Amino acid sequence: MKNLIRKIKFIDKTFQYLAMAATFFVLIVLCVLIWNIFSNGLLRINGSFFTNLPSRHAERAGIMTALAGMGSLLVITIVIALPIGVLSGVYLEEYGKKNKFASFIEINIANLAGVPSVIYGILGLQLFVRMAKMGNSLLAGALTLSLLIMPIIIVATREAIKAVPDSLREASYGMGATKWQTTSRITIPSALGGILTGIILAVSRAIGETAPLLVIGALVYVPFVPEGPNDQFTTLPIQIFNWTTRPQEAFIINAAAGIVVLLLITFLLNGIAIYIRNKWYKKMRY
Amino acid sequence: MYKLEAKNANLFYGDKQALKNINIGIKPNSVTAFIGPSGCGKSTLLRCFNRMNDLIENARVEGDFLMDEINIYKDINTYELRKRIGMVFQKPNPFPKTIFENVSYGLRINGMKDKKMIEERVVESLKQSALWNEVEGSLHKSALSLSGGQQQRICIARALATEPTVLLMDEPASALDPISTAKIEDLIYTLKNKFTIVIVTHNMQQAARISDKTAFFYLGELIEFEKTKKMFTNPEEEKTQNYITGRFG
Repeated sequence: MKNLIRKIKFIDKTFQYLAMAATFFVLIVLCVLIWNIFSNGLLRINGSFFTNLPSRHAERAGIMTALAGMGSLLVITIVIALPIGVLSGVYLEEYGKKNKFASFIEINIANLAGVPSVIYGILGLQLFVRMAKMGNSLLAGALTLSLLIMPIIIVATREAIKAVPDSLREASYGMGATKWQTTSRITIPSALGGILTGIILAVSRAIGETAPLLVIGALVYVPFVPEGPNDQFTTLPIQIFNWTTRPQEAFIINAAAGIVVLLLITFLLNGIAIYIRNKWYKKMRY
Repeated sequence: MYKLEAKNANLFYGDKQALKNINIGIKPNSVTAFIGPSGCGKSTLLRCFNRMNDLIENARVEGDFLMDEINIYKDINTYELRKRIGMVFQKPNPFPKTIFENVSYGLRINGMKDKKMIEERVVESLKQSALWNEVEGSLHKSALSLSGGQQQRICIARALATEPTVLLMDEPASALDPISTAKIEDLIYTLKNKFTIVIVTHNMQQAARISDKTAFFYLGELIEFEKTKKMFTNPEEEKTQNYITGRFG
C-alpha cells in the first residue's frame, strides 16, 4: 500500500515536471524569437518608416503602401465576410432544421476552417482573378480572404448562439415575442460577445496571411497607395517576405521592423478580443 | 364559466403519449395547483395553455383548449395568446439586460413607444410583484445583479407588464431558498384577486398553502381534481392518498 502511494506520487511529480518543462521550452523559444526580432527591428522603426514608400535603398524604404494596402484589404474583407458569415451562423443555429443535411453542412464548414490557406489562394486565382477577370486587384484579394475567414466567423457565431441558454428564448416567446423579435432582441445581443471575439480572431488571422495573396498575384513592389478596389496592392506580410529575400543586411533589418509592427497589430487585436470576451462573460453570467 | 378549460385533451411527443384524455376547468381568480410525480404531464398540460409546446418539434396536440371560451389553438394567434397568458418558469430567467428593460420587454415588442406609459406600466408591475421597494433606485442596473428570489419576482413583473389575465407558473419556487419562497407564495396569494393562477409544484405543503383547488396527475392522466382542503384531508382516489402521504412519487 505504502509502495503504491509512493509510486503514484512519483508519477504525479514526474508528470508535473514534464508539463512544466514543455511549457518553459515553448516560452523560451518564443522569447528568443521575439528578442531576436525586436533587437534587430525596434531601432529601425521611426516616423518615416511608416510614411515612406518602398525603395531600392533600404534606409529610405517604408511600409506606407503595405499598411494602406493591408488596411483597405481588411476593410473590404470585413464588409464582405462579416454579414454573410454572421447571418449564415444565425441561420444554421436558429432557423435551419436539425437533420442529416444540416450536420453534413456543419462538418464541412468546420473542415473548411482548417483548409490550408494556399488552397483558398488557388481558388481565388481561378474564380476571381481569371474567371471574373478582376486581375490581381484589391477586390480579388479581399474576396479570397473573405472565403478564408468566413468559415471561422460562421463557426464562432454558431458557438456563441448555441451558448445562449434556451430559457432566455422561452422567456421571450412566453411574452408573445415572434421568432424575429426573440432572435434580434435576445439571442443575438446575448451572443454578441462571442460573435465579436470570433470576428476579431478571424481578422487577425487574415492579417497574417501571405500565401493566398501571393498566389492571386498581389505585387511585392507597389510604389503607390491603392485608391480603389480595382487597384493593385501589397500587404505588410508580403512586404516583409519581399525584404527577407534581399541579400542586403539593411533590408533584413527592415523586415524585422516590419515584423515588429505586424506582431504589435496582431497582439493588439487579440488583446481587444480577450477584453471583449471577459467583459461580456462578466455581464452575461446567467 | 371557466377561465381556462381543456376538453378531451391528448398530447403526444412523437409516439409517446404524455397527456391522456384530460378534462379540466379552471375558475377565474383562483389558484390551481398541479401536483404529481415527475413525468406525469403536469408541466406539459400547463404549457398547452400558452402553446409553449409548439416550440417542441415533435409535439402534437389533440382536443380543445379554451380561454374565456375562445379556442386557444384555433381562434387566436399564438403571440396574442401569450400576451394574455403570462408564464413564469422554474429557473429565474431574466434577460441579461437592466431591470427596466426586462419589465418593459413585453410592452416594447408589442410596439408600445410612449415612454411615459411604459414607465407607468413598469412601476405598476414592479409594485404588483412586491419588488418596487427593493429596486426603486436601481432600475437601470442589470437584472442579473439581483438575488435568485428577486430575479424570479422580476420575471413575474415582466409577465404582469403586458396585463395578462392568467398567470402560469412552472415550479416558480423550486430553485429558491425558503425566505424567497415565502415571498413568492405571499405574492401569489395577493395576485389571485386580479389574475387566474395555475401553478405546477413538487412541494405538497406549498400546494396546500396557496391553492384553492388541486389537480393530481399520474402517468399522463388527471386522477383527481378537487378543492385543496378536501384533497389533502380526504381524497377520493387511493393513488392520490398514496402520493400526498408520500408513499410513492
